[in-house]
Amino acid sequence: MNIIACYANKGGVGKTAAAVNLSFAFAALGQRVLLCDLDPQGAASFYFRVKPSRKLTEAAFFEDVEKFTKSIKASDYENLDILPANMGFRDFEVLLSQMKAPKSRLKQALKAVASDYDVIMLDCPPNLSTLSENIFRAADAVLVPIIPTTLSQRTFEQLVDFFTANDLSTAKLHGFYSMVQGTKSLHDETMGLMRAAYPANIMGSKIPFASDVERMGVHRAPVLVTAPSSAASKAYQALSEEIALRLAI
Amino acid sequence: MTLPKGLFYLLSGPAGSTFAQSPVGKLVPMILMQDAALPFTRLDLFDQSLRRSGRLLLDTGTDLKLMMADGVLIAQPLPHPQTLVADMADGPVKQMLADLSPLRRLLPCGSGTFASTAIGFVDDVQKIRCRAASHTLTSTDGRQATLVHLKGLRGYGQALADALEQIKTCGGHLFDMEDLHQLLFPLHPVPQGKPTVALRPDQSAFEAATQIIAGQVPIARQNEPGIIADLDTEFLHDYRIALRKIRSVLSLFKGVYLPDQTANLKTRFSTLMALTGPLRDLDVLLLERAATYDMVPQSLHDGLDAMFALRKTERSAALTKLRRHLSGSRYLKTMADLADVFTTPGVLDAGPKATRPVHDYAATLIWQRFQKARKIAGHLSAETPDAAVHALRIHCKKLRYLMEFSTSLYPQAQLNPAIKTLKRLQDNLGTANDIAVQLLNLQTFLRGADAWSQGAGVQIAQSVGALTLVLHQRKQAARQQTQTLVAGFASPHTQQIFRDLFHPRKPKP
Repeated sequence: MNIIACYANKGGVGKTAAAVNLSFAFAALGQRVLLCDLDPQGAASFYFRVKPSRKLTEAAFFEDVEKFTKSIKASDYENLDILPANMGFRDFEVLLSQMKAPKSRLKQALKAVASDYDVIMLDCPPNLSTLSENIFRAADAVLVPIIPTTLSQRTFEQLVDFFTANDLSTAKLHGFYSMVQGTKSLHDETMGLMRAAYPANIMGSKIPFASDVERMGVHRAPVLVTAPSSAASKAYQALSEEIALRLAI
Repeated sequence: MTLPKGLFYLLSGPAGSTFAQSPVGKLVPMILMQDAALPFTRLDLFDQSLRRSGRLLLDTGTDLKLMMADGVLIAQPLPHPQTLVADMADGPVKQMLADLSPLRRLLPCGSGTFASTAIGFVDDVQKIRCRAASHTLTSTDGRQATLVHLKGLRGYGQALADALEQIKTCGGHLFDMEDLHQLLFPLHPVPQGKPTVALRPDQSAFEAATQIIAGQVPIARQNEPGIIADLDTEFLHDYRIALRKIRSVLSLFKGVYLPDQTANLKTRFSTLMALTGPLRDLDVLLLERAATYDMVPQSLHDGLDAMFALRKTERSAALTKLRRHLSGSRYLKTMADLADVFTTPGVLDAGPKATRPVHDYAATLIWQRFQKARKIAGHLSAETPDAAVHALRIHCKKLRYLMEFSTSLYPQAQLNPAIKTLKRLQDNLGTANDIAVQLLNLQTFLRGADAWSQGAGVQIAQSVGALTLVLHQRKQAARQQTQTLVAGFASPHTQQIFRDLFHPRKPKP
């Protein structure tokens, strides 16, 4: 079982779109996938038309294995289940910070469903917090979408520093370019520089800036379903294959 | 609510479409996929093995669909129409039919159309909360049955429970294959298994013998159309078994009928049997065709091709002759008369042993027959002539029939091991006999060389020579095995089993 976290410490970079489409791509290959929507905005759940469970309360969510597994819901696609966003997660970070040894809580909770799934994809909230650190420890790989701009380059550098400072392995970091616009020369230059600086961490696949991806909110389905032959779909497919190769999925 | 995976329900008539079109609680049905209706032909063996084992096999012209007893549907492409399971291409359906006789032909038994629909029950944001696969079968005369498979989705237990309730409201119930057959083909008779002879210990030997024979005549008769249509070789085989059983009862139950009457009946049944011999011999030979090719080197296969081509021609001639016989008015009258003899009271005259209770009578016959077989078995060696081995085989066969006729008279737990020991020996003797018959056939074939010595004559002779050599080796091997098996059969242990059952020592007063 592989735990893959899709993380960006900056909003609007195509993180959830990547988590949704990659989850679908792995599931379509026959992998049993659980997509955990840990982002309080609940975009991943929205894309799959899954409503968050009202019954869940924030208290001891990850401690209560039964509660955790019971809130998992099947998507409309074979092999793909969703742990929908829960409004309690907003308070969850506070809760975690108050608890003893909070760093392993998520890992313990995920262990409970490990036998049901081959891949657990975590769609993470966009900030560096206790929950984020928790996620980094639980995950086998951290996927980081990067818009090839100077600012994004800096935030990736900050993430590498955070990993180093907190004794986390930087080998877990797998960056990929997101919302790439071929016409912008700045994008080309930044991509070249970052690849040179982090040759092991930056993947080859690039997700283009595409209206098909934006329309996912209208169709409420992965772009791989609504526009399977689009450039964006092909890019997600290539990215899923690259990740599968890196993680031996 | 937790339900086991894969629940199948049966709905009759229009209830299937009612279910597919009705909301389930707040969820509405959405057609996810709909296949065009395909014509189907239901296939089954002559004895309805598939139906009896709760399976439904449909030939849709493009694929074979097999519905299992629990409602699971599997399919495999059907590139060519196949009617013998053994000849089907490998696939999941063939795998699940592995228990069927490889020699039996799948026969058309009813037809209609088959349509599949995938349904999703969706909520207000069009999210699927429960899935259903619906397979509607409509028979040619318009009878309809729908098999619904509900699939619950993780986290949506309530939707599954609601869908289940909806099925019940529509009159559906848990799937049962016989119910499906009854809904679609109510006019087809419910298949019966092989008739078992249930004798009572207090029955007279006369009554028992008459009951056994009366049961075998219809079995022989129901195989006639299959022989005439040449559907598969098992029709003739079963026909012959029925006649052989009748003949065995007539010769084994000595003194039950008057001697003249017994002799007359034996002659009539033997004559019927003899007419089927040539075709059966050729069937056996041709069924062994593939194995025969494996026995000789590739270089001699041309000769076998030529030999089998000749044999096939001979078979056609034998079949034509038997067809004419079975369809003739003389035969039909004979069979009707013979059936009457055993079903009309007063036709048969009671012999001197007619009134003996069948339990004691059968026990005496079995014990005497066992002793005869054991005597030969005890003296058997590698040098024993074929004729003596053949005699042992015949004794064993008669013993087996007697024991099978008497199954209802003795405790199964004791009778079964005795039958098992006997069966092992019979199988070996059967193999040895088949080889001996094959060798004899080859000699006869060589003697008739004038008919085929032109053309491929030399090639055929070479192949037959090689085949004879291999068969001789196999015969030797079978005979060696016979030695081991007869030792077990003639052992004091086996004798004790037979004694306890059929010839118990009387307690001392």
